[in-house]
Amino acid sequence: MPKNSKSFHAIGTDSPRKGGKAKVTGKAVYAPDVSLPGMWHGKVLRSPHPNATVVDIDTSEAEAMGAICITPDDVPDVKYNERTISVPDAIYRDNRVLTDRPRQVGEGIAAVAAETEEKAERALKAIDVTYEEHEPVIDPEFAVSDDAPAIHESIVRDGEVEPIENNIAVERDISVGDVEQGFAESDHVFEHSFETGRTYHAQLENKTTVCRPEPDGGITVWPTTQTVHNVRQLLGEIFDINLSKVNVKRLELGGSFGSSIQTNSVTPITVALAMAADKPVKIVSSREEDMYDHCRYPSKLDVKIGANDDGTLNAVEMDVLADVGSHNIQAFPYLGVVAGFTASLYDFEHLEFRGRAVYTNKAPACAMQGFGNPQATFAVECMIDAIAEELGIDQLELIRKNYVGEGDTFWGQGPTIKSVVKSCGVEELLDQGAEAIGWDERTPPGEKDGRYRRGIGMARGFHTSGTGGPTPGEAIDYSSALVKINEDGSVDVVSALQDHGGGTRSAGARIVAEALDVPIENVELSPTDSRNTAYDVATHATRGVYAGGAAMKKAAESVREQLLENASRLLEVPPDAISLEADTDEGIGRVFVEGVPDKELTVGEVAKRAELNNWGTMAAVESNRQVACPPAYAAQFVEVEVDMETGEIDILRTAIGNDSGTIVNPKLAAGQQHGGFYRGAGYALVEDTQYDENGAIDGNGLLTDYRMLTTMDLPSNDETETFFVETEEPSGPFGAKGLGEACINPTAAAVANAVYNATGVRFTDIPMTPEKIIGDLRAEYTDRVTGKPMVPAEDDD
Amino acid sequence: MSSEKITHGDDGGNERTIELTINDETHQVRVKPNELLLNVIRDKLDLTGPKYACGTGECRACSILVDGEPELSCLRLAVTADGSEITTVEGLSDGRDLHEIQQSYLSEGGSQCGFCTPGFVIMTKDLLDNNPDPTEEEIRDHLKGNICRCTGYNNIVEAVKVAADRSPENGESE
Ligand code: FES
Ligand code: FES
Repeated sequence: MPKNSKSFHAIGTDSPRKGGKAKVTGKAVYAPDVSLPGMWHGKVLRSPHPNATVVDIDTSEAEAMGAICITPDDVPDVKYNERTISVPDAIYRDNRVLTDRPRQVGEGIAAVAAETEEKAERALKAIDVTYEEHEPVIDPEFAVSDDAPAIHESIVRDGEVEPIENNIAVERDISVGDVEQGFAESDHVFEHSFETGRTYHAQLENKTTVCRPEPDGGITVWPTTQTVHNVRQLLGEIFDINLSKVNVKRLELGGSFGSSIQTNSVTPITVALAMAADKPVKIVSSREEDMYDHCRYPSKLDVKIGANDDGTLNAVEMDVLADVGSHNIQAFPYLGVVAGFTASLYDFEHLEFRGRAVYTNKAPACAMQGFGNPQATFAVECMIDAIAEELGIDQLELIRKNYVGEGDTFWGQGPTIKSVVKSCGVEELLDQGAEAIGWDERTPPGEKDGRYRRGIGMARGFHTSGTGGPTPGEAIDYSSALVKINEDGSVDVVSALQDHGGGTRSAGARIVAEALDVPIENVELSPTDSRNTAYDVATHATRGVYAGGAAMKKAAESVREQLLENASRLLEVPPDAISLEADTDEGIGRVFVEGVPDKELTVGEVAKRAELNNWGTMAAVESNRQVACPPAYAAQFVEVEVDMETGEIDILRTAIGNDSGTIVNPKLAAGQQHGGFYRGAGYALVEDTQYDENGAIDGNGLLTDYRMLTTMDLPSNDETETFFVETEEPSGPFGAKGLGEACINPTAAAVANAVYNATGVRFTDIPMTPEKIIGDLRAEYTDRVTGKPMVPAEDDD
Repeated sequence: MSSEKITHGDDGGNERTIELTINDETHQVRVKPNELLLNVIRDKLDLTGPKYACGTGECRACSILVDGEPELSCLRLAVTADGSEITTVEGLSDGRDLHEIQQSYLSEGGSQCGFCTPGFVIMTKDLLDNNPDPTEEEIRDHLKGNICRCTGYNNIVEAVKVAADRSPENGESE
């Protein structure tokens, strides 16, 4: 039974995160901090060519130096896909531990291990590789042309070899109703094309793995990962080791943002090296290697929306071309969610989606915070602003008229995972955000002049809470947890659930404290690995608290029954007559019979007496799948100032609102809002990786070549307002929904709409770097002296 | 002072012994001329607080104080630090008692994944040692070279403000 929020003692209070002390003292252990006795160091020989075939590898000199070397011939001949969250039919296998057919600069060809990093480095340089180079395919439009060379001849899906044609990794068409009829019935049809950047995750921890071969033929692995269980499964499959002998340790994770949803490429390489050397081996990626390892799916989106004069949105048509790079990690689900999130933004009666994902000779794209949602929401929410202006309807009005809300169907993860919305705070998000930014005082672009122009914009969005649903879909989604009460009344939570820094595990501890009615200080999270926990799919899709926390709650509720049962034997009353209460002042859980003063114990006393009576440990392990995927709604409002002469965009103010159901830890939740907004603003304004014609990332492969916003580029704390509209989600643990990814999805459109409001120019290609936008801005900029445009407009957007 | 003795390691590098006082403990360490201070601190002295995130001076995750001044340990050769006094994030707390800067990063949510935190804590120490009551502008300016990918910086700025308020003398230094 859901508790009334007013009676929460652990949820909704601010106390420091579990494990936080280790972080602020430098004692927290991340994969790069793991060091084992007798450990060797590994290095990977990576292709300097974007598209080539390895003709010969000579490792004799490196071996003569005492290094252990492995080449494509020394690794299992298994074709795999590094992300194993989908059902087999939706998994496209095109990768291998090491390859003799590199398809991007930076792909692993061979690897060495030696006692020191320096020795390994020198051995690596002594390896001689002969390549036959092929023409690189950099541009996705060229990739699908008949002139483009084939990047992959074929892939494997569900045991079958499938040919690849025109470098198209996946095509996915999804339709609802009849879009042509929808357009025919509309008073207006609006069309725009959008383009989104190749964002790099830039998580601060470079991908790392340590592997120790065990005497029994097993392996112990310490990787950078969002999911110890999926790493375990994949390594078991590649190296043909029973899962019971593959142990993957869960460590602190130095940020991820989706980059470690798949088993990282260094992980199987490290395992292969460690097995060949028969010693523990560690590989730490350099920043340059990491930049060639992953990025967000860059996409071109052509959107058509049919609307009536009264603002009713009838139909949407979307054509997407996504550039997946060298390997297809999850393009099939990616296209599915771009369609699904579009369908869930507004109540379109007709939808037609055509998606193509194409291979190119670049770093492989993978999930990045929002997965498909930042792309879809950027396009659709910019269109909504444009449509509102054309129709002469306030943007908030247009949203209110059409959004998918309570009682509507929400597509949580593409067309196969849907559920009905049961909690929705959209109206309040719009009201509070509008109030905070001063929406009513907003003036149209036509009224701005001068060099520095200010504008206000907003966008709405959401993210799914997990990928569960009433029926199984194409993604696997469940979590597990063990909860046990120790003999002094303290509680251990044993779960593989990963925390990227958002406070997911801390939130889980609060949920357990609440479910057991013990103070949060008495609940701790055990160190875990894949051998001592039951399955948890991954921390992704904003499912950590909603789904991971729900599994912990379920286990805690079973333990609560046992606690009541044992207390009933001790107090000699039926279990139903017993109450539990957290005494946060005393730091104990009380077990008592209301109105009967001598019938009272502490949780610790019950646990101790249960032990002395040999009744066993109060403990339960549960797996749980959530049967819904509720939307966690978001709205963001921003004010910008644009320098019409330089193209510089300054964000002056923002109001960031979220409906995430019950808020478990307010301060950490606000941190999610800040972080999402920061990365979203970077996505809108500066972040991108560009490739030259030789398949190399522009610049020197350094972090400074990848522009990110700094402390100086963001509004001050006083100008950053965050707020929550607390709804109660019936399917969530104590009413909670997801949060993290919802905080980035509307940002780019909110910023772009504010830039439009400031300048009257609508930019549809992000990031909106000064170099990209200056031409159009200057064309718009009326010279104050002559009253004429400084530069005549070249093309109309 | 350290006794200097040149030996030839099996890599042919000229190893020598240097003396480093880290977090008030003095160590004699054998290092090669090309060894980075960050690696010596992490691998030979087992202090893994300072982090490698770029190795090229672009993120400040490897920040330490050398003789009271902030330095990027990923860019400094260990031999050049011979005889120095070094403070890492580990050196700020007193046993289990957190320094007020660490306390504030914890209470204000200034540390999410925590990978950048050792560098931020050190740079905050540097700021408050020199400017006990900084404005938000000064805080943001001082930390502009530190990358945090998680927080959006708001709660970091808040943590610095709270640390300044919590400081016993509002600017207590050792
Ligand atoms: S690791 Fe030293 S500045 Fe980045
Ligand atoms: S807390 Fe993760 S990088 Fe700063």
